[in-house]
Amino acid sequence: MTTLLQVKGLSKSFGAVRAVSNIDFTIREGHCVALLGPNGAGKTTTIRMITGLLKQTSGKMEFQGAAEGVHYRSLIGYLPQSPSFYSWMTGSEYLIYAGQLCGLSAATAKLRAKALLERVGISGAAKRRIGSYSGGMKQRLGLAQALVHQPKLLVMDEPVSALDPLGRKEVLELLRELKQETTVLFSTHVLHDAEVLCDDVIIIRNGQVALQGAIDRIRENHRKPTIELQVEQDEHSQRWMSTFSRRIQSLLNEKDEGALFQDVQLQNGIARFTVSEMDAARRMLIEELAREQVKVSRLEVGHTSLEDLFMKVVTG
Amino acid sequence: MSSETKASPSFSVANPPLSSSMTRYRVMVEKELLELVRSFKLLWVPLVFILLGIMQPVSTYYMPVILEHAGSLPDGTVIDIPLPQAAEVLAQTLQQFGTLGILVLVLVCMGSVSGERNSGAASLILVKPVSPLSYVGSKWTAMLMLAWGSLAAGYLASWYYTGLLIGAVPLSKVIGSLLIYGLWLTFVVSITILFSSLLRSPAAAAFSTLVGSVVLSLLAGLFPKALGWNPGALSGFASQAVVSEISDSGKFGLAILVVFIGMASAVLAAAGALRRSSAVE
Ligand SMILES: Nc1ncnc2c1ncn2[C@@H]1O[C@H](COP(=O)(O)OP(=O)(O)OP(=O)(O)O)[C@@H](O)[C@H]1O
Ligand SMILES: [Mg+2]
Repeated sequence: MTTLLQVKGLSKSFGAVRAVSNIDFTIREGHCVALLGPNGAGKTTTIRMITGLLKQTSGKMEFQGAAEGVHYRSLIGYLPQSPSFYSWMTGSEYLIYAGQLCGLSAATAKLRAKALLERVGISGAAKRRIGSYSGGMKQRLGLAQALVHQPKLLVMDEPVSALDPLGRKEVLELLRELKQETTVLFSTHVLHDAEVLCDDVIIIRNGQVALQGAIDRIRENHRKPTIELQVEQDEHSQRWMSTFSRRIQSLLNEKDEGALFQDVQLQNGIARFTVSEMDAARRMLIEELAREQVKVSRLEVGHTSLEDLFMKVVTG
Repeated sequence: MSSETKASPSFSVANPPLSSSMTRYRVMVEKELLELVRSFKLLWVPLVFILLGIMQPVSTYYMPVILEHAGSLPDGTVIDIPLPQAAEVLAQTLQQFGTLGILVLVLVCMGSVSGERNSGAASLILVKPVSPLSYVGSKWTAMLMLAWGSLAAGYLASWYYTGLLIGAVPLSKVIGSLLIYGLWLTFVVSITILFSSLLRSPAAAAFSTLVGSVVLSLLAGLFPKALGWNPGALSGFASQAVVSEISDSGKFGLAILVVFIGMASAVLAAAGALRRSSAVE
């Protein structure tokens, strides 16, 4: 599959603040890519540079199929974090206007506007002033205007963050259809959105890429066995639980790569151990529990999820 | 992992040819005009000018009557104010346009660029294959249409009522001074749009323009020899053109040249400011 957009060493500073520093990634044609990161990670800044709205401090972006010397803007559709329109126009007028600015003839723009309004589900409000639209309707109109010229790359900044659960589900459904037709890059701070839609993720933190790659591969590579342990409320068992976790914690601080226990989290009386080797860890744990006569209420074997990895990457 | 090759839309955009940029520019001007219609600016701005234009001859004509009925004068006072020359009334009308008229125009233009940038509406437009120059140019064009239309309506109304109440002025003189005065308004509108692109606050843009235009006019009035060629002198030239003749055609020609250079640079500079950072949000 060919590369559509290649970003090399992209950086942006606002005065002393380095919002984005030295980001590299590629977007391949037909892929759906999520730019994932917590608030203030630099998602919007990165996206604005890709769309050409913001000039980068350094670095470059190469777009496949863009003519020499012309910005590839005409090949992208862009939906900002909170789109704003001309409130005195109607939804349909705005779409026709957007289409004409993208080089469509008046007649084609009209046809496409009608079809898109239908598609994003606001054809009922097509003749109403945008000023009277709700936030969700504006988001949909924003999506429609980004699609009006059939862009090669659809770039969206947090397309579903402002929506209620129902609207979110509908828009995600729409995006799932859209990614069959075009290449998609969108930012989000919710891992779930990336998981249901995307082929690739780029996790950024403090303006730097923390982790990137195909989402399946990441899930595979970073999957570690875990043991969840819960004990009864009696004093002896609870005391054992806290001393044991503390002991593991102090072992962890020695940073031994080959250690049996890689991580421990104690939350609501449930201890969650990330281990390197399941059988050995399980044996060791059960022996310990039997010797100390701890009243186990639950012992469950599982795997770390992508969510765990995400939390670790963005907080660690 | 989806591996099917996705049908990429059959849509290619090369360097947009000139004709298509012209189409876009036209579409954008139409949008600006529609905005002026929907916000009723295309209605009330000309109305203000027409009102100002009619007020001048009417109030001049009825001034003696008004004073008589004011009642503060002792009985038997004979009021005898000589009616001014018809052309002078028109020159006074231009003075009205120079204060209230310019104020209204500046207020209408002050947020034309910064408003859209602040709201974020501009960034949605500027990511499209639209050049900042045509974006600014379309606003400039629409505002100039508004300014020239309002000026013509107001000035011709003034000429009509002057003709009815005071005396005739040859239409050719009126048109001449209208064109000269229009250049001054053109200059002011261009500067407003420039400030609207440079400054985030519409009020600051209006303030800067108003101060700038007052300073230019004062300079032209105070130092006619040294600075009589600056655009601020044009309102004076317009008055001269309707009352008598333009005395210093050298300075007049220079002022026109300066206006044209000034407005071209203003529009280019505004486009440059947008290109540097298209979206201040
Ligand atoms: N115009 C600006 N001037 C100064 N600093 C800025 C500007 N824009 C962004 N920043 C800084 O850059 C960093 C990244 O901001 P950005 O908006 O890209 O984050 P984000 O990932 O989109 O966050 P969110 O999820 O909240 O939208 C932040 O620390 C922010 O304060
Ligand atoms: Mg953001």
